[in-house]
Amino acid sequence: MSTLFYILGYLAVAGFFCMAYLKIKSYLAASPLHVRWELYPVPHEGSKTVYGGSFMEEKDWWTKPRHVEHMGDVKALLTEVLFLHATFEHNLKLWVRTYPFHVGMYMLMGGTIIVLCSAVAQLLGLDPQSGLMIFVGNIISACALAGTLCIIVGGVSLVLRRRADEGLRRYSTPEHYFNLLVFVLFGALGLAAWVSAPSYFELARTFMYNLITFHFAPQTNVLFSLHLLVGFFLLIWIPMTHMGHVFMKYFTYHDIRWGDEPTNYSPKNQQKIMDALKYNVSWSAEHIAGDGQPKTWVDVATTNPAAPKKED
Amino acid sequence: MKDTLQLKDVSTAEGQMVSIDLKDIPELPLDVKTMPWKPFTDEQKQNTACILDEVCVLNIPMPKNKEEEEEMVNKFLNGMRKLFSKENNWTFLPMLETSMDYCAQCNSCSEACHLYEMSGKNEMYRPNFRSEIFRRIYKQYVKKEPFAKWRYGDMGLNWKTVARLGELAYRCNLCRRCAQTCPIGVDNGLLAREIRKLFSQEMGIYPRELHEKGTMNQMKCGSSTGMTPEVVKENVEFIDEDYTEITGVGIHTPFDVQGADIMLLHNAGEVMAWPENIAAFSLIFQEAGLSWTLSSKALAYDGVNYGVFYDDAQTARIALQHMMAAKELGVKKIVIGECGHAHKALTVIADRVIPFEYQVPRESCYVTLHDIVMSGRLKLDPSRNNFPVTLHDPCNIVRLMGIVEPQREIVRKIAPMFREMPCHGVDNYCCGGGSGFAIMTRNNIEQWRGNISGRKKMWQIGEAFKDCLGPETRKYICAPCSNCKGQIRELLEHNDLYTKNNFAYGGLVELIVNAMVNVNPGFIKFEGEEE
Repeated sequence: MSTLFYILGYLAVAGFFCMAYLKIKSYLAASPLHVRWELYPVPHEGSKTVYGGSFMEEKDWWTKPRHVEHMGDVKALLTEVLFLHATFEHNLKLWVRTYPFHVGMYMLMGGTIIVLCSAVAQLLGLDPQSGLMIFVGNIISACALAGTLCIIVGGVSLVLRRRADEGLRRYSTPEHYFNLLVFVLFGALGLAAWVSAPSYFELARTFMYNLITFHFAPQTNVLFSLHLLVGFFLLIWIPMTHMGHVFMKYFTYHDIRWGDEPTNYSPKNQQKIMDALKYNVSWSAEHIAGDGQPKTWVDVATTNPAAPKKED
Repeated sequence: MKDTLQLKDVSTAEGQMVSIDLKDIPELPLDVKTMPWKPFTDEQKQNTACILDEVCVLNIPMPKNKEEEEEMVNKFLNGMRKLFSKENNWTFLPMLETSMDYCAQCNSCSEACHLYEMSGKNEMYRPNFRSEIFRRIYKQYVKKEPFAKWRYGDMGLNWKTVARLGELAYRCNLCRRCAQTCPIGVDNGLLAREIRKLFSQEMGIYPRELHEKGTMNQMKCGSSTGMTPEVVKENVEFIDEDYTEITGVGIHTPFDVQGADIMLLHNAGEVMAWPENIAAFSLIFQEAGLSWTLSSKALAYDGVNYGVFYDDAQTARIALQHMMAAKELGVKKIVIGECGHAHKALTVIADRVIPFEYQVPRESCYVTLHDIVMSGRLKLDPSRNNFPVTLHDPCNIVRLMGIVEPQREIVRKIAPMFREMPCHGVDNYCCGGGSGFAIMTRNNIEQWRGNISGRKKMWQIGEAFKDCLGPETRKYICAPCSNCKGQIRELLEHNDLYTKNNFAYGGLVELIVNAMVNVNPGFIKFEGEEE
């Protein structure tokens, strides 16, 4: 039983990365090169970003070296991820509920990474009773308490908002409530484990240590075990739902909203256009299908459907 | 029906699904009256699927029997499958898929939408309403995901769902203000366009103004206006003569100058409806000493590309012809005139559709004009523009291309009483005529533009001029985009705001010419002034 528990842990971690990989792979495979679909402000435009300007404001811009201020992108993405800036700006009522929910997750995710580092340190010989480990333990305990409380409060208030707001209720499916309630359960079990155990950090570090050393010792706290089981489920479930935005947001922002690279600066893209134009087109409307002969995009783009028909 | 409207009603409601009560439409500081909806005739109701609301854009024929109903649904599903295939939709598939899969249903986009706000927050106008119907159909009937009904919500699919979804795609100006607010990067504007595309490219269903009278006409005779090369040259010659007399400066608009630096690409609608815009461009370019030309090649004297509103094939065909004409003339760049969608189509969309070897660099006229004005090549007297001026930001050029400041710097320099509208720059609102509505004319579309889509712009204009409303002060609405001008003209005329508020509207070039010291004063005409 104990071994099965650890196997589930490995599967959850592997499942998360596999699912995320598949989703990203599918996104990248969807097109060799999509059209430019940028939306301003684009944060890598340097001083123009402040008012939403672009390189296209410059006379003969194609004759100048392309300048992309990558730090602008990093700053904008961090602002968005850490503070949920767009929600704050455009939907404050949602932000006051979703921000604690997200911060709770960040705390537990960050905490997990620190716990992993602690387990590695233990493996390398750091005494679990050392001052440093006790200090880290206190931080993790505080993170776990604040994080689980944030998830519970945020999750419950998000459910209540979905029920109370007529507009939101119409668009909420059973899965939305399920997702939120699973997170609330995850938080509640974590909180219960925190309350019931002498040290949440001790439980977490021991589990992580066992996980990385393949030492499948039985769990000592039932509530903590249940907390982890729900966590395993979430790891696999998140990439399969709209919550996959946790990693897809990189693409919706960087590749789509901010993806403004003009073709003249990219020989690679110039070739990709040529390749994509060779795809076969099977749209059926008369102005595209025309005489019914197979066509590539080149054929379509170079055909004039309004030209007078040739007499047979 | 407004308060109780549910997503599944698109498949179950009998007859007209939604009715927009004019009493729900917000009042404005300007006297912009609501226009009563004209009821559909019995014949229309019998023959056409006018089953969404008071408006009917697509005029989908009513299926006559079960077979026709099924055929409509099957065609739609076939189109949906193609929409999600790389071969058929490599241009937009990544954006489409992310917008289908990652929406958290938070409805942050609703408040950003001028249609939602100005319809009195009618449920149907939430940007997510049509998107969510589209998503549920895809997951349930095309992807056939396990537990799709439970996970994403059940959605009935029948001919009514299809017909209403097609119409719903035309209750959006494609301004993408909603996308700007999405925390995740979902784009409901894109989904509206993708639905339009599916209807056009697979089912052959489109608004006739965009297709038969638009792109097809442009490919048939050279321009969506119907003007052939001979006619356009003749008309421009007349414009040169007329405005030489009006301005006191000899104007000559060059055509087909081989090896010129610039090929200027106007929206041909200007030639017919706003000749002063053509004349102003010619005058400015001439006085600035530019080497430039228009093309008289079919398609290339009309920058219009209505394909961007509904069909990728039509977009590519027209953009390619624009590029080819410029290549043939051997110009160094194409400068795009005051037309928003022409800017986006040729500069941004065509950039990854037309092979690079056929591309000619494209520049916005705002940038070219900025260079002319700021370099001092024209003698300008700002005191000639001694009236309040506000500036409209065309979505396609500002939010979707990031060209924000050049036009502002010009206006600040030549119009001392310039004031911004609230929510300007990339936060602007659509004029209400965006995505093809400015040229549509039937089945209550005019009423829709006046009652709903154009209303937020009129609010912005009213707010910009709130200190000087009334007939005493002349006021200029600078709207440097052909379609936007058409929309603003309609609302000013319909509500008699020329008289009540002494408004004039026009482009950026008219304002520049009005300040040119070597031109007869009074290029811009206000109410009561002689043409």
